[in-house]
Amino acid sequence: MGQAYSVTEINQYIKNLFVRDRILSNIYIKGEVSNCKYHTSGHIYFTLKDAQGQLACVMFAGQRKGLTFRLEEGQSVIALGSVNVYERDGKYQLYANEIVLDGQGILYEKFERLKRALEEEGLFDRDHKKPIPAFPTKVGIVTASTGAAIQDIINISKRRNPYVQLVLYPAQVQGAGSAESVAKGIAALDRLGLDTIIVGRGGGSIEDLWAFNEEIVARAIFQCKTPIISAVGHETDVTIADFVSDLRAPTPSAAAELAVNDYRTFQGLIRDYQRKLNREMQQKLVGYQNKIKELRLRLFYASPAYQIKQKRQFLIDAEQKLQQHMNRRLMEKRHRLELYIARLEGLSPLLKLSKGFALIVGEDELPVQSISKVAQNELLTLSLLDGDMKARVEEICPKNRGC
Amino acid sequence: MAKKEMKLEETFEKLNQIMDALEKSDVSLEDSFTLYQEGMKLLKACNDSIDKVEKELIILNENGEANEL
Repeated sequence: MGQAYSVTEINQYIKNLFVRDRILSNIYIKGEVSNCKYHTSGHIYFTLKDAQGQLACVMFAGQRKGLTFRLEEGQSVIALGSVNVYERDGKYQLYANEIVLDGQGILYEKFERLKRALEEEGLFDRDHKKPIPAFPTKVGIVTASTGAAIQDIINISKRRNPYVQLVLYPAQVQGAGSAESVAKGIAALDRLGLDTIIVGRGGGSIEDLWAFNEEIVARAIFQCKTPIISAVGHETDVTIADFVSDLRAPTPSAAAELAVNDYRTFQGLIRDYQRKLNREMQQKLVGYQNKIKELRLRLFYASPAYQIKQKRQFLIDAEQKLQQHMNRRLMEKRHRLELYIARLEGLSPLLKLSKGFALIVGEDELPVQSISKVAQNELLTLSLLDGDMKARVEEICPKNRGC
Repeated sequence: MAKKEMKLEETFEKLNQIMDALEKSDVSLEDSFTLYQEGMKLLKACNDSIDKVEKELIILNENGEANEL
């Protein structure tokens, strides 16, 4: 039996073997993520596995900038780092510095990188966004000549506004050379002086949509002087083209809605203006007509004819009033008179005449109040109620009646 | 094309100004008529600016030249 080594010694020995190994000190390892744990310290512990085996991995908090997405179970990733021994457990593991997604993941990484670069360059800046014309007459489309996208765009455009001229640049939208084709199409349509250009395609896998994540397309969109609406895939698909374009539509159909104004709405707008214009003018006219009416009325009142009529009326009224007052006054007097008559009747000498008294009037036509006023043989008139009698004075006999 | 576009929107803007002017009570009848006539002319121009012919799709060839179908 040779010399016995302590566990620590052998672990250190093995660790040295690992450290000295150039390959293990900087290596890309691909596999599927499992047992992924984000530790509160910021370190990430996970296992990479494939069909046959597995490898313990750790990414320390200090290396976290090498990971641009959230590590999750089942992801296919490529991890860059060094394989080394963890002496305490007597196990080796991968110390990862950088982790990228494999396959689609690489595309995603590429996407992120280009997006960042273009964003920094300012291609996505709001200041560069051109407004989409509200009333276009010509709309260009860069998409495949076959497929649902162009059909959707044609259908919606025709339904909304059949008077808009659609111009299609039939581009190759997937596969090799598709990005160049799309870029060429954008440039070609830009030269035609259209109102808006729709660039897009229908849904597909991330690879299918890839042309719209290529720099050449992004630059073609950025350089295009015509406002561009991007419409790639479905609502959930976001491409570089969407960031550069002046407006992002979730789908080609939506792009057609955004690009082509609704003709009926436009007509409605025109009609509204017309109605409003007519109404304003009508109101104006009515206002002036009212003013004329008012002035005419004022003029009428101010006219000499009206004044004369007015004065004549006043005279008539005055006359009427006068008459009324007069009549009333007369009536009052008449009443009073009647009153007096009634009272007088009580005192009337005529009443006395009916009781055997008579009024005696001498020849001098004066009532006889004393025998001294009459002479012998004077013709006296005796008045009774129903007539007069003539009598001659036969005799005068004075009498003292004690009054 | 963008020029024509702006013109339509400018026309609407102008129409709004005309309405505002007409709404004011101190505008003379003559001026009102002038405004009204101008508004009507603009409306007609708006309508005329739309080429009311249904368009067929134009498909370009590889070089961006039109091949009317």
